[in-house]
Amino acid sequence: MSTLGRKILDAARGLRSSLGPVGAGAEARKGADPSESQAQAMQRLRKRIGEQDTEIRELRARLAEGAANAGQGGIRPENVVWILGFPRTGSTWLAHMMEELDEHAVWREPYVGALFGNLYYDWVGEKHFETRHFVLGPRFRDSWLRSIRAFILSEANVRFPGLGKDGYLVIKEPNGSVGAPLLVGALPESRMIFLLRDPRDVVASRLDSVRKGSWLYQRRVEEGGGRTAMFNMQENALVEKTANGYLRSVRNVKEAYETHEGPRVLVKYEDMRADALGTMKRIYSTLGIPVENGALERSVREHAWEAIPEDQKGEGKFHRKATPGGWREDLTPEQVAAVERITAPLLEEFYPAVDGEKARP
Amino acid sequence: MPVTRYTLSGAARGLKAFVNLEAGVVRDGTKADHASRPARGEASRDGEMERLRRLLTERDTELAQLRAKVDGTSGVRPDRIIWIFGTGRSGNTWLSSMMGDLEGHDVWGEPRVGLLFGEFYYGSFEGQRKSKNFILGEKQKATWLRSIREFVLDGANGRFPGAEDGYLTIKEQVGSVGAPLLMEALPESRMVLLVRDPRDVVASILDASRKGGWHYERRKDDWGHTSTADEDPDTTVRERATRYLRQVGGAKQAYEVHPGPKALVRYEELRADTLGTMRRMYSELDITVDAEELARVVEDHAWENIPEEERGEGKFYRKATPGGWRDDLTPTQARMVEEITAPLLNEFYPP
Repeated sequence: MSTLGRKILDAARGLRSSLGPVGAGAEARKGADPSESQAQAMQRLRKRIGEQDTEIRELRARLAEGAANAGQGGIRPENVVWILGFPRTGSTWLAHMMEELDEHAVWREPYVGALFGNLYYDWVGEKHFETRHFVLGPRFRDSWLRSIRAFILSEANVRFPGLGKDGYLVIKEPNGSVGAPLLVGALPESRMIFLLRDPRDVVASRLDSVRKGSWLYQRRVEEGGGRTAMFNMQENALVEKTANGYLRSVRNVKEAYETHEGPRVLVKYEDMRADALGTMKRIYSTLGIPVENGALERSVREHAWEAIPEDQKGEGKFHRKATPGGWREDLTPEQVAAVERITAPLLEEFYPAVDGEKARP
Repeated sequence: MPVTRYTLSGAARGLKAFVNLEAGVVRDGTKADHASRPARGEASRDGEMERLRRLLTERDTELAQLRAKVDGTSGVRPDRIIWIFGTGRSGNTWLSSMMGDLEGHDVWGEPRVGLLFGEFYYGSFEGQRKSKNFILGEKQKATWLRSIREFVLDGANGRFPGAEDGYLTIKEQVGSVGAPLLMEALPESRMVLLVRDPRDVVASILDASRKGGWHYERRKDDWGHTSTADEDPDTTVRERATRYLRQVGGAKQAYEVHPGPKALVRYEELRADTLGTMRRMYSELDITVDAEELARVVEDHAWENIPEEERGEGKFYRKATPGGWRDDLTPTQARMVEEITAPLLNEFYPP
């Protein structure tokens, strides 16, 4: 649907919600309150008819207005920049640095990839893809990808109305990355950052975050903000669960990255830690987004690890240690073996053993 | 499709609305003035009520068409969508087959669009839903309901091109958890809440999930598929009863607030008097159907017309006997279902 159409519908929706439920003809037909007199019933019907007439007039006006404003748009699909990967890979840090730049806004964790990805990849069996009825079936892929596209752009425009057609919308979506192939399939001209980190460090960071008193524990348990099952899991089981989640998510991001037609860049957390400015320059250069060097330097400096107050860093904190390879101290040999076994296809490709180090026992 | 008064008058109204719109005729409030004019005298009150109801219906039709124009959608009309919500093993396939055999009626069988949005939305946490970032956040509900509306209509139009003048039944028992969202997104659509005694539902799926059962055979090769029906049937019973509560609970919640035409259909009534129940259902949905055609489709899909070899234990068509749970479930299992589904059982199947 066009942006024009969306604007019209937004207005219509707003009006409709202000008028109360629609389909009130049926409401009237279904029968009145037995205690209601005929006079009261007639008054109710007249009131509703008046409301209907108001909505009809408004819809007509909006259609006319929409025709006059045709062609004006909001966020451009090619200015959407996805950050896809997995949690605890530096996506918050990266998004903060990008957000500082002119005409950049960040949409933090909409979970739109999870919305569509969960059903597509996890909730239905293979046989559903053979029928023409399944809403995400292959025969109608173009159609539902268009719907997903419209869904994303519509929601983005509602949330970032001031960004305009020249602005860049960074969508930080580590928790919805399972749906990465669907997201970039729906927006093939968008830009994509594949953000990667050694799965052993990711798991070590996750383990630290679920300990009692941690930042995540405070948010989820003490403030009642979300899933709490992980806090009751046996540690080794959590290691396996996180590693499986990493594999599931990063595998899909890799698939999206390999097939994406738009500008794309692979970024390793370890590279960012080693040379944040150089990596940021590479990101923007590869994505074809012009940025001013001074602004980039300022942004990198402001969000450097060293600029974070000491009391906000350390074990149990959101900013933990930021030390690539720290897993050697954090995980038991059994836990390392489990992560390496589960994530082997990705580990071998992105973090092959070096200097004679044995990647897997 | 049967030529009905509803269809003809609806088409005429549609034409009128279209002509008015295209010609730029702006409603000047005349009708509203008429609507607000009180009737004089006792004798004319019934007639006045009738007139007001007619005006309401006319405006509903016009609004549906205007919204379709604003939506940018043509094809399947939202007000001609009929949802069937409930849970599996409640006669969904039977009911939708009869509905789909009527001329001008199509069936979209289990798109799982309710699962897509409902499972995600109701599986999220309050903190997420309150965040403006969350894709289905409460503050942006009006916008994403519209997006859901478009998603459904686009999917329907892609699969059923040329269905403008017909009815589209969407059989979505599996996605009933999302019924409240779907009905809110398409408030002018019609809805059937199909319920069956949860004890019979659980007995039926327990039978189907055992090795060799139709459900087991269909799902056994799916990734991650497991069935406890043989080794630990009580677990299956507990899971299925919980699923019943969730799905039928979602459907009931949608049914209670849905402003459009709706009908509550019990499987047991459908078995006892299929034709009578179908007539009542279409009447409550405000859809006129040809009586002879309805009788024919009911006859075509009667239990008695299913070949003997396709019926029985482990088969899709099992026994179709309300109350059969007494033979199929252990007393413990029956009690388990009754406890889990108590809020619904007490309302729909009081002791």
